[in-house]
Amino acid sequence: MKMRHHLPVLLLCISCFGILGCTSVQPWERGNLAKPHMALDASVLHSSLSQHNYNSREGAAGGNSAEGGGCGCY
Amino acid sequence: MPCRHFMPVGKTLLKRQLNKRSANLSLHALMAAALLLPGLIALPAYAGDDEVSFQYGHYQEGKRQLFNAKSQFNPIEVDTLQGNANIKLSERIKFAFNYTQDTWSGATPITTAPVVRQGNRLRVDNDIHSGASPLIGASAGIFDKHFNPVSLSDPANPDSTVIGSDTRLVHTLSYASPETRKQSDFKISYDWDTAAVHIGGGLSIENDYESRFGNVGGRWDFNQKLTSVSASVSYTNSHTQALLDHDAQTYYSSNNSQLDKLIHSDVDANVLIANKTDWSTHLGLTQIINKNALVNFNVGYTYSSGFMENPYKAVTFAFVDPSAVRPDGNYNGTYAVLREQRPDERNQWTENLRYVQHIDGLDAAVHVDYRFFHDDWGINAHTFDVDWVQPLSNGWTITPKFRYYSQSAADFYQPLFLTQQRLPDNGRLDASTLPSNYASDHRLSAYGTLSGGITLSKQFAKGVNFEVGFEYYSHAGALKLGGGGEGSYADFNYYVANAAMKVNLDALASTHSEHSHHTGHSTHGAHAPAGIMFDHILHKAGDVMVGYRYMYANQAGASLHGDSVARDLDIASLGCKNHPCASTPTYMTMHMHMLDLMVAPTDWLTLMLMPQFVDMSMNMREVTGADEDPNPHQHSGGHSTGGIGDTGLYAIGKLFASKGHRINLSLGISVPTGDVGIKLRDAHKLGDVFIHYGMQLGSGTWDFKPALTYTGEADKWSWGAQLSGTKRLASKNTSGFAFGDLFQATAWGGYQLNSWLAASLRGVYSVQGTVKGEFNGAHLGDGGESFDGTPRSWGGTEDATANYGGRFWDVGFGVSASVPSGDLQGNRLSFEWLQPVHDDVNGYQVERDGALSANWSYMF
Repeated sequence: MKMRHHLPVLLLCISCFGILGCTSVQPWERGNLAKPHMALDASVLHSSLSQHNYNSREGAAGGNSAEGGGCGCY
Repeated sequence: MPCRHFMPVGKTLLKRQLNKRSANLSLHALMAAALLLPGLIALPAYAGDDEVSFQYGHYQEGKRQLFNAKSQFNPIEVDTLQGNANIKLSERIKFAFNYTQDTWSGATPITTAPVVRQGNRLRVDNDIHSGASPLIGASAGIFDKHFNPVSLSDPANPDSTVIGSDTRLVHTLSYASPETRKQSDFKISYDWDTAAVHIGGGLSIENDYESRFGNVGGRWDFNQKLTSVSASVSYTNSHTQALLDHDAQTYYSSNNSQLDKLIHSDVDANVLIANKTDWSTHLGLTQIINKNALVNFNVGYTYSSGFMENPYKAVTFAFVDPSAVRPDGNYNGTYAVLREQRPDERNQWTENLRYVQHIDGLDAAVHVDYRFFHDDWGINAHTFDVDWVQPLSNGWTITPKFRYYSQSAADFYQPLFLTQQRLPDNGRLDASTLPSNYASDHRLSAYGTLSGGITLSKQFAKGVNFEVGFEYYSHAGALKLGGGGEGSYADFNYYVANAAMKVNLDALASTHSEHSHHTGHSTHGAHAPAGIMFDHILHKAGDVMVGYRYMYANQAGASLHGDSVARDLDIASLGCKNHPCASTPTYMTMHMHMLDLMVAPTDWLTLMLMPQFVDMSMNMREVTGADEDPNPHQHSGGHSTGGIGDTGLYAIGKLFASKGHRINLSLGISVPTGDVGIKLRDAHKLGDVFIHYGMQLGSGTWDFKPALTYTGEADKWSWGAQLSGTKRLASKNTSGFAFGDLFQATAWGGYQLNSWLAASLRGVYSVQGTVKGEFNGAHLGDGGESFDGTPRSWGGTEDATANYGGRFWDVGFGVSASVPSGDLQGNRLSFEWLQPVHDDVNGYQVERDGALSANWSYMF
């Protein structure tokens, strides 16, 4: 049961590692990657607010690294 | 070419271009972003330039399905204020500081019960079911032969005719008075060319919960910076000190309950004291796939131990004794609540995959995230997230967002528990007859959520970015992946609206260095002390200034009447209108955060917008020698409120200017955006009463705010004087009252100590009238009665309108620092402490301790 849940993620992860080493993007080709909206989190401020709300309303709140956030007891 | 060589060469080139003042701004932004590439694939939250940002968010939950009851309470709402600063301490050391403040109030579920229990319909007032307070104490229930709840012809009479089984469930809603949480955290990072480490920590404080946390982590880039790995460890220690609900003293517990050992009782209240620790670790891998795509994979593990219950949630048990058969064949039983009982340990695992793709033709970025969560409480959760970031012309960016979340229930979750035994008369249950763990918090149930939102941002050339966003969120059992979710009674929705401003100080500094030689903004004469507003206008059409103001004021001295100390006996007999005074404040504290946004449409006129965010707290003591209050109101923990205050709109014009002398006139309107209808939780049979006048967040009236300011300077000396006032434009607000008008006169002198530091001394006289009118609904001291005829508490001096305003003298001591050169040139930080020297209060009030003003501003 547990393994079945992890499987798709593990497969994706393995394919991700597979990509490693077989690409070559020269520094001068990284213009698009360097754009602010290509950042992993393109809107840090907004994400922190949304995440805070999800954390206080969802069971899977933990598991994010411990960064405070309060009791959320309401 | 290795990036190590690429970076310094790029920076030198960039600087050279800037010095020539020929750099195209968009090229500059692109190049700066390119230089930050390593940061992009690591910790974007703390990467980037020197930046200051502010955000306000409003969370509003929708009404719950209550079937035949109607709750008079508004659902929970949360106001959030965030401030953030990222500063480069040196080329390689970065410092990030975050401040977050939440204030919430409103109704949330305290437990779940069958509809037939009528938990939301306890109080019957003149035959009207008011739903004023939840029923969680023990009450009789009738159950059919399958132990299903049944409905009766007269719900209040267990002997009435049984109509049939009714298995519908409903949340029992409970109202919470406003409460505030404050969190500060920081992170320091050190960057090498291909690696970085960081250390951080913080503190989150609320009335009943304190959390301390720390973290360390690092990142290593290799494979020509196409690949990056990261790792971090964090630790959190949380301390609960929960004052248990006064109206929920009727909780039952088992005879060896661990929870009971955590509860410390005193005369007035039960306090639950407990600790929890979390250890968390994460490993991450980011890989650039091609020049348009990157992927990030994260795994995380968290181990938590200690007190993980929610101290305010109750679990409803149906106690049915199979031998208690009624003549009609049904069973007599009892509903009673227990505090929830969760395991003392929790292991949580997460796997997170993110993919970012650039769409060439549209210059858009698509972010696709999938997260899997699993824990040993039985919860499996899937989160699927898609954002489309679409830059438009003129600096606009629009981002539609979509999110789907689904979770299974915790093993020990049930909305309602059945136990086949009679509820013992002494309320002490045998633990062996109960499950080892039980909870009915809907966050542990099976459900799915769907949310969608949109964010719109505008980037201005000078490094200022404004953003507004909206998100709608829907929680429903039916949305659970694969079905089998909780019933529709538990469904709810919420929306979040947010507005943010980001100021990139590096971008400002570069525009500043380009222009400062001909405008000289940062050093144009002396500034007034931090507590003074409207003293200057911007120099020429098109100029912009952003600033942040903070004000703290505290009253915690002796109780005064006029200008002398009041005796408790006098407060008791004379301090309140028409009846004795039962209490008087021990302290009242206010924090105010203000954004200062100025723009000059012409050379002689500056427009100013000032949104405010306020939070206040207070506590009271009983007045010695007072007659006994008809309903002694217990004050453990005090009261707090917070949220958006009133919003100021001002126009400041130049009346006169010659060398060394200026006179400005400011005309302003205060828009009543602050809430003046905040009420206390309906506990102790207080009735649904307004919280004290001084604890409301705004004036509730449109106010006219003129100010006339003279400033002068010669050599290292500066001076000024200001007359200002607040005239209420209505005699009462929507809650029935208006604060008194305010007049203030002040004069100051300042001296420039060196190139960056100045000091000031100021005298202030202010006068304010009493509160006009009175709350137009139930309030303490109104002589009214609670729903069951209990006379309302007399309240305290803070509840009488005559005890507001007065005549006050203060002396202000100020310092002001400005950054004369370098990257942060143009920034100014000033502080002023106002020391009260004489109070002559209206009626009876607590003496003032002083007030602090702090002000950061940046002109460009």
